[in-house]
Amino acid sequence: MTTPDRRDLFPGALEMMVLRTLRRQPLHGYALSQEIKRASNELLRIEEGSLYPALQRMLKEGWVKAEWGISSTNRRVRIYELTAAGARHLEREVSSFERMLEGIRRVLSPAES
Amino acid sequence: MNWITQIFSRRRIYSDISEELQQHLEEKTEDLIRAGMSREDATAAAHREFGNMMSLRGRSREVWQWSAVEDFLSDLQYAGRQLRKSPAFTLAAVLTLALGIGANTAVFSVVSAVVLRPLPFPQPDRLVSVQSLNTRNTPIPDSLSYPNFFDFRANNHVFDHIVCYRDDNFTLTGLGQPVHLDDQIVSWDLFPLLGVQPAMGRGFLPEEEKPGTHVVILSHQLWQGQFSGDPSIIGRPVTMDGETYAVVGVAPAGFHFPVENQTVQLWTTLARDASVSIGHPLTVQRGAKVLNAIARLKQGVTLDHARAEMDAIAAALARQHPDENTNIARTHIQPELEWLLGDTSKALWILMGAVGLVLLIACGNIANLLLARTAEREREFAVRAAIGASRHRVIRQLLTESLLLALVGSITGVLLAMACMHLVLPFGGDSIPRVRQAGIDGRVLVFSIVLALFTSVLFSLAPALQLAKVELVSSLKEGTRSIARGHDRLRSALVIGQIALGLVLLSGAGMLTASFLYLQNRDPGFKPDHLLTFSLSLPEAPYSRTKQVDFYDRLFERLSRLPGVQSAAGGGPLPLSGSQMSVSFNIPERPSAPANRPHSDMAIVTPGYFRTLGIPLLHGRHFTQRDDAKSAQVVIVNKAFADKFFPGEDVIGRRIEPGATADGNGTKIREIVGVVGNAKQSAIGVDFEPIYYFPYKQLPWFIESLALRTSVSSLSLESAVRAEVTSLDKQVPISGIRTMEDVRSESIAQPRFLMLLLGSFAGIGLLLTVVGLYGVMTYSVMKRTREIGVRIAVGADRMKVLTLVLKQAMMLVGAGILIGLAGAPAGGQLLRNMLYGVAPGDPLLMAIACIVITATGGIATYLPARRAASTDPMQALRAE
Repeated sequence: MTTPDRRDLFPGALEMMVLRTLRRQPLHGYALSQEIKRASNELLRIEEGSLYPALQRMLKEGWVKAEWGISSTNRRVRIYELTAAGARHLEREVSSFERMLEGIRRVLSPAES
Repeated sequence: MNWITQIFSRRRIYSDISEELQQHLEEKTEDLIRAGMSREDATAAAHREFGNMMSLRGRSREVWQWSAVEDFLSDLQYAGRQLRKSPAFTLAAVLTLALGIGANTAVFSVVSAVVLRPLPFPQPDRLVSVQSLNTRNTPIPDSLSYPNFFDFRANNHVFDHIVCYRDDNFTLTGLGQPVHLDDQIVSWDLFPLLGVQPAMGRGFLPEEEKPGTHVVILSHQLWQGQFSGDPSIIGRPVTMDGETYAVVGVAPAGFHFPVENQTVQLWTTLARDASVSIGHPLTVQRGAKVLNAIARLKQGVTLDHARAEMDAIAAALARQHPDENTNIARTHIQPELEWLLGDTSKALWILMGAVGLVLLIACGNIANLLLARTAEREREFAVRAAIGASRHRVIRQLLTESLLLALVGSITGVLLAMACMHLVLPFGGDSIPRVRQAGIDGRVLVFSIVLALFTSVLFSLAPALQLAKVELVSSLKEGTRSIARGHDRLRSALVIGQIALGLVLLSGAGMLTASFLYLQNRDPGFKPDHLLTFSLSLPEAPYSRTKQVDFYDRLFERLSRLPGVQSAAGGGPLPLSGSQMSVSFNIPERPSAPANRPHSDMAIVTPGYFRTLGIPLLHGRHFTQRDDAKSAQVVIVNKAFADKFFPGEDVIGRRIEPGATADGNGTKIREIVGVVGNAKQSAIGVDFEPIYYFPYKQLPWFIESLALRTSVSSLSLESAVRAEVTSLDKQVPISGIRTMEDVRSESIAQPRFLMLLLGSFAGIGLLLTVVGLYGVMTYSVMKRTREIGVRIAVGADRMKVLTLVLKQAMMLVGAGILIGLAGAPAGGQLLRNMLYGVAPGDPLLMAIACIVITATGGIATYLPARRAASTDPMQALRAE
């Protein structure tokens, strides 16, 4: 039923970045998208809207929670916050991602190892 | 989040999402304007960066949707496409299911109408039947006599009402043609007991039981028919049996009492039995057991409580009236419906069980079809798994397909059942009470739907188990068929199970068939062919006993002169009409107290009776015209009577003193002047019952039936017979003209019905089993093509290959037969009470059943085996 998110780099990457960003501070959707863009030095092109299905999935899984509040620009926004379960999930994902990255790097530059 | 709160909070979640997305776009637009864009450009850019708003909102919401229902609907669509893609498989499965579910639906609709449907009266479960329990030999329920009934009615505290009833008939005159009508003689409170209000007029009053009262209640049908719905019918006098009765009420349309009896058109009170011209009326004869009784339990009284009190009353009556009541010191009280159905409900449940086995066999076949199909679709399942479907999801898809199949099959089956029931039910005739009302109603439909659900789970169990075991994705990689490997054992197990069930069905059908053939072909002790029977009712008032005797003398004289008639006689109860009158007798040379006297069925006959019916005279002489009231009192007995009461003795000339009297002036000693052969009095039952025959002129109670031995087709004489009777008296109606062949055929209607149904179920079961075996063997041969090719290539001759395949099939058949043989005796035990002249589990019948299964199995295997034997080795090897 759910079609794979073709804009995603690989399954789970966007989630990982969102969780990592939220670990520093709670943010609302727009701020979150700008923050990811800024942090990646605009290297990654992410369709801003694709954030929202991902956020809903994470809400349902209980990795983040959301509450309506007022932004610094005095706008009614929904602010997302990392939960303990979300933090644990992030750790697992990051470590498995790093192992994968390490593996790929070794394959790409065998001389260095 | 649990799914209930999810449904309620979903609306809020959706609006949150919409608002959030809108806020995002606005904030982005404002940012871009602040950076120097025009509002128009900024809005466009914001939308571009954001992506497809509609689809993103949809996907965000989707996360929260209750996926089970939506998944199911899409599964169902997919299943429909899959089934349409393989029409041959779908057709085979749907037809098999339709047979199985259709047969089950049909039988269940009969069970529902006959057994499960409550009696058509208010609070039907409070109605009970009341009988005496005769404990003289093996305890058997017995009818009541009027004095005992009156005592039961007066002394009990457990019934709101207790009502007696018995069969009777009237001749209705004064409305053109005389009409012969069946009525019931009842005690006054029948309608209050049943909780039924007459459609017009009133029920009977207590004082209308008094001798000399002539009141009657008409059935709605009789009122509409004979009386053309006369609105002023209440109080109108009608002439019945030459006497004037007043109509006091008309029963509601559709009212039948006794419940199973559609022919009863009138009800009158027991006043009719309270007055007779000669002798003692029935209402004072404590020994005359002629009554049925129905009662309604008081609120709060249990069946056990009622039994205890009625037993106490019966015991007290036995002490007061030892001569008549010693052997009936107990009562037999059971729910009215149970009494009404008797053995029928057991027979129907057996049919239900048998048809259930057919469904199991059908499920086996479909499971086998599905297994083969699952193997073929392995790649499809693997692809689905690869693109993210969980194993759970794939199995659910399979179950959805099964469910769809089962639903289509059950709809077809219900239609099939509706079509077939009209063809099958008439075979049951009147042998199954209440069966006329059988049809497809709400309860039956619910049953079929539940059955469809159940079967769909049942037949997809095997393929689902198989799918659950294998690694789906790996089968995609290897390109091999991993499902197929595990299949053979499962498919073989299914076929073995089918053969076992088939054998149980077949042996049951075999036993019922043998029993039916026994009943049909055994010597009934008389010659039923070319024998026409009918009844007359001589109204009692205008015909005194002497006049009746004269009337019959003249009638037999005339009838026997008709062309085509060899002889004419009267008497009864006729053979095959059951045990109706049982009378005790004393043997003067070894007298005994009244309660201990032997008793036997009796019949009253005219001189030509035995010759006309074809019952042989073994010793002594026939009755003659001279055996009348003035001459010596005589009696003729059958061989079973002589053997039972005078074993090893010569009975001619022996004397007995029967309790049956002509005029109520005391019993007479009678001499046995003849012994005749045993004629079957009841159609079923193995033993010949003792019976003794009285000459009509010495015991002129009535002539129950008339019989004509004819040299031409019996029924062709019907109009001639009517003409003769009418020429003697226009007011005497003829009823029940039938040939004795018909009587005989009807008397074994229920065994025939059972045999036909169980036989058809066994046939369907066998067919399905054989098709299943054929399928498995064909599949197995197909898969072993390469192996067989190699065998042939290295020199195996074709005969050997043929034997190889046949041997494999016979292993399956053998295993199935072994299991079936273990189960068949249990089935035989269930049938025990329905078998005559056949022992349950008769070895010869079992052997025949085994041979039939083996032979049909062999035929089913021959085709695939021949194909295997004709395998071209080169082609077989190249193909892989």
